[in-house]
Amino acid sequence: MAEFAYEPEPEVRLAPGESVKEISGRSPWRIAGRRLARDRIAMGGLILFLVIVVISFLAPVYSSHIANTDPFVSNISGTTVVDGKKVDVVQQGGGGLGLGETPIGPTWHSNYFLGADNQGRDVAARVLYGGRASLLIGVGSALICCLLALAFALLAGFFRGWFDTIVSRVMDLIWAFPVYLLAITIATVLLTTPGGVKLWFIHIQATSLWIPTLIIALIYVPYVYRPVRGQVLSTREKEYVEASISQGASSLRLMFSEILPNVVSTVIVMFPLMIATTVLTEAALSFLSIGVQPPKASWGTIIQDGQGLLYTRPWVAIAPGIMIVLTVLSLNILGDGVRDALDPRAKVRVRE
Amino acid sequence: MKRWLVGFFGVVVTLALVASGCGGSSKSSSSTSTSSTSAGGKGGTLVTVANAAPSGSPDPQVNYTLQEWQLLIISHDGLIAFKRLGGKPGTAKVPDLAESIPKPTNGGKTWTFKLRKGIKFSDGSTLDGADVKATFERLFKIGNSPNAGTWYNVIEGADACIKTPKTCDLSKGIVVNGDDVTFHLTTADPEFLDKLAVPFAFILPSSTPAKNVNIPPPGTGPYKWVEYSPNKQLKLVRNTFFKEWSKDAQPEGNPDVIVQKFGFTPESQVTAVENNTADWMFDQPPADRLSELSTKYADRVHVNPLTAVWYFAFNTRIPPFNNLKARQGVNYATDRNALVKIYGGPKLAVATCQILPPNFPGYKPYCPYTSGSSTTKWTGPDMAKAQQLINASGTKGAAVKVNTTTNTVDRDLGLYFVGLLNKLGYKATLQALSPDIQYPYAQNSSNKPQFAFSSWYQDYPAASDFLNILLGCGSFHPGSNSSPNIAEFCNQGIQAKMNQAGKMGITDPAGANNLWATVDKEVVDQAPWVAMFNPKYIDVLSNRVTGYQFSPQWYFLLDQASVVK
Amino acid sequence: MLAFIIRRLLGLVVVLFTITVVVFLLFFATPGVDPSARLAGRNPSPETVAAVKHEFGLDRSLPVRYGLMMKRLFISRDLVSYGNQALEVVPAILAAAPVTFSLVFGAAVLWVIVSIAMGIMAVTFKGTFVDPLLMILALIGISMPVFWLGEVLNLITQDRLHDTFFFRWVPPLGYVPFTQDPWQWFLHLIIPWITLSILYIGFYARVLRANMLDIQNEDYVRTAKAKGLAPQQVLVRHVLRNSMITFASLFGLDLGVLIGGGALLTEVVFNLPGVGRLTYNALTALDLPVIMATVIYGAFFISILSALVDILYARLDPRIRPT
Repeated sequence: MAEFAYEPEPEVRLAPGESVKEISGRSPWRIAGRRLARDRIAMGGLILFLVIVVISFLAPVYSSHIANTDPFVSNISGTTVVDGKKVDVVQQGGGGLGLGETPIGPTWHSNYFLGADNQGRDVAARVLYGGRASLLIGVGSALICCLLALAFALLAGFFRGWFDTIVSRVMDLIWAFPVYLLAITIATVLLTTPGGVKLWFIHIQATSLWIPTLIIALIYVPYVYRPVRGQVLSTREKEYVEASISQGASSLRLMFSEILPNVVSTVIVMFPLMIATTVLTEAALSFLSIGVQPPKASWGTIIQDGQGLLYTRPWVAIAPGIMIVLTVLSLNILGDGVRDALDPRAKVRVRE
Repeated sequence: MKRWLVGFFGVVVTLALVASGCGGSSKSSSSTSTSSTSAGGKGGTLVTVANAAPSGSPDPQVNYTLQEWQLLIISHDGLIAFKRLGGKPGTAKVPDLAESIPKPTNGGKTWTFKLRKGIKFSDGSTLDGADVKATFERLFKIGNSPNAGTWYNVIEGADACIKTPKTCDLSKGIVVNGDDVTFHLTTADPEFLDKLAVPFAFILPSSTPAKNVNIPPPGTGPYKWVEYSPNKQLKLVRNTFFKEWSKDAQPEGNPDVIVQKFGFTPESQVTAVENNTADWMFDQPPADRLSELSTKYADRVHVNPLTAVWYFAFNTRIPPFNNLKARQGVNYATDRNALVKIYGGPKLAVATCQILPPNFPGYKPYCPYTSGSSTTKWTGPDMAKAQQLINASGTKGAAVKVNTTTNTVDRDLGLYFVGLLNKLGYKATLQALSPDIQYPYAQNSSNKPQFAFSSWYQDYPAASDFLNILLGCGSFHPGSNSSPNIAEFCNQGIQAKMNQAGKMGITDPAGANNLWATVDKEVVDQAPWVAMFNPKYIDVLSNRVTGYQFSPQWYFLLDQASVVK
Repeated sequence: MLAFIIRRLLGLVVVLFTITVVVFLLFFATPGVDPSARLAGRNPSPETVAAVKHEFGLDRSLPVRYGLMMKRLFISRDLVSYGNQALEVVPAILAAAPVTFSLVFGAAVLWVIVSIAMGIMAVTFKGTFVDPLLMILALIGISMPVFWLGEVLNLITQDRLHDTFFFRWVPPLGYVPFTQDPWQWFLHLIIPWITLSILYIGFYARVLRANMLDIQNEDYVRTAKAKGLAPQQVLVRHVLRNSMITFASLFGLDLGVLIGGGALLTEVVFNLPGVGRLTYNALTALDLPVIMATVIYGAFFISILSALVDILYARLDPRIRPT
């Protein structure tokens, strides 16, 4: 569901308001760095993203020192203190019939700041822990995806011939394969195979975060692969590369010295936007309960938990959603900044 | 019967059950149920809503869901019926197509039924003995009737029918002589009458083709099926050939038309019934609508206990729970109050330690796994005793896979046990599978989950339906996806008592039930399960419905309610 | 052109074949999914299970099973669901498709109109606060998970503000066929249309704006301006029109994905019985016949529309030949 259309223009251009003096004699990377640092909006995005990362990784501190609960153990019969009064975390439903059980709502105090879910677990602490999982999966899968796409594009674009044909056909297939189906079948196979799945020396358990990470990385490979491969092909046609080949340069050396630096900027521009995409995808898969498996939590699984409490305890679903929006927004802003910095006129688009 | 029902948050919800024997509370256990059992007016359309069509084939001899059975009982009849009344009387068996309930002869192996005269199918043809014989032959001929090989294989000649269904011939097992139909059984079966009173054995015209039908064929009841569209709706209208012959077995119905519409989430079912655009919802209301129902609509909500049990089964053949002390320890540690809360609170479920549900034949309250001195009622967990037993068992540190479904309630129950087992010193992990594959998966011994979620709703009121099916040696089939003894429990001493109680059932039902109570107690002491609670059932009605009755066997009796026009 | 169409069709067949084979193999590699126990009911005897296996051809070899399923799907068209044997797969998809079409086309109309308006406004008011404001709104739009947005809108329109003047008209979740009651059809779909289109509005507005800014710098636009055409005319006649090539091709691809079942999350959240929800239900129930049919249906639309886009692209931009 993401689409990139990238028309790389490798020469360094002037950004608006930039003088020739400022960029002459500097490496393209330094120029880009300077531009990015000056872009206040992009820096705002970066800072917002870093703040979210930091508070998510402080989740253990929050749950053990502020909320004083373990957000992964159900606390249905537990009690907490609100305004000096001892109350049940999960309370019996009201009314004439007393049906149902309702978790405590937001207390806006350190304990149960955002209330509890239907297991009596602290939602605020869970949202922070969920952020860790969501960010790990988002960044991890974007990284794996970009590296895989880069590797395949370099090989395919460089060797061409049958290798290129096979890789490109496989990419077409992944493109047309329904994402949810892939995720649900792989998740089911892993869940039901006793003892998890062993691949060479890697041992994957069903509850491992590697599963959603790898699935998401895999499904987005074609989206990065296509533009990068195109660029590898066009770079290879460039005179200076042809010249190196005629001088007898080895393929490996060429790949690392001539082609790689040229395409890497494309991948870097895509990277923050890819994280934005993968974070959203992780949330969608977990919402359909085929991503992160309980007792582990991610923002998507917490929204799913909150779906059943939507009308009585809406904060369970709203809070993780706000975190997702802020994260993806910050990454999109940062991505725009990186794109402008690396090439003020390059046309990159990413969407989910 | 296995539950597929009750997805508290809207997923799934199909299969289900038939309950019985529950303490006669046919009214809401808590509301001031204003609706009486007096017959209201006739006529009108009863509009019901459900998430999906009954799962499986619509064929009456194949379908195994409460959802379809609730409607089959008003379109078809068996030789015997459960009395069509709410409360305790609803568990009694009465003659339906037969004139009376016969006494068996030949040591319980021969039963002769005399058919009532002049009963007509909804296509106008008259019922006779040939239809009865053809019905039971068809049960085997169609090849996929679930209980053909487990319930009806006692009929002489049935074994051959199971081997070669196409050529099934029951001439030896069912002899027709005018209006007399005689069944010859290979062994005495105390539950034979119960088995004749469920839809598998409802009589169909002998002209019905011997393959699965996509709409129930003509029957003898007061209604007939005129539409069955699995993604739209089903519809029953009056059978004009019906004349009431027994008010107990098959009374005339009140609404002219009964419709069930599909494709409504439980959430939207609640809304539809609250707004009176539908009269009744089949599925259970989702948790976050319960408080609204119990405050604003209390007079339209009815809550009834079910003869059902929810439990986690230990795998008693692999470590760590092949150790009795470990199983007992976990039972002592379990906070059943928390489990009841996960299900929806004390008004929707009652904690239990035993296999048989309350008010069931053979039920005697027993609960050793509790704090305090009571041995009949669960009052609280006993962590000290639990720790002591588990320390003594030497199983600490063992890995435990907790197998459950992805339905919210089931998953939360599983998560509770993951937390508890970890606290007790095990290394527990959760394995939550789609409800459609969890049940066959948990049954298969080659998948080896150490602790698996399940639940059971009675088929008919008999203790063996719980004890022998779920914990008998014969219900364990290694490596099979249909092996209902999930605990893989087999105790020769207890099994001998079960067999004895089964035999006694024919001659001395009361004595047999006393023996079943002993079996229940001895099984609980062996702790093959953590029995959690007995659930209750919520019915929500529109303001157009009067005459609500809850039969322990068939639940809400749709046709006995009246709709205000 | 004919060769191109034939090649694309052949490619489509290869893709469909491979996907169905992969799905089929994945399904039967999963422990516990063997449907025979499920088909046989609760507590069947081993003989009954064996009979069911035979009846459904589940005791045959994998290639034969695959062939049988494809035959029942395409030739005899009587493939039934494993979950409900009265549910025929082909009619089920045909019944679900109008729901998905209603949802997707309505949302598409909405997002095309709004995103073009936003794009034109952003370009026209470039340099004022309007442009960055619109673009921030667009960014927020593409940053919201669609299922979460749907839930929040449900919370507001079905519950919290349902009894207020603004949302009293909002009907309960679900779908009413156009043929049954056009007005109710419209009312039921308004909130789902908005939910589904917000992401695309944000995305298309951004694409359109970037594209129009690029084209404004092209020589022919400068020429047109120099010739003294009114700025509005230049904007609409030259800039917008030329930006529509990219716009239309992206639109085609998105439409394919959404019609093919990509609107799954929206359909699930709003309880719309479309192809996406059918797919989702089949997936959670591991109902292979329905999964197969929806996968084929989805891949078909995705592939057909991407082929159409290539043709369209070639028509609009003579520099590109379809490959």
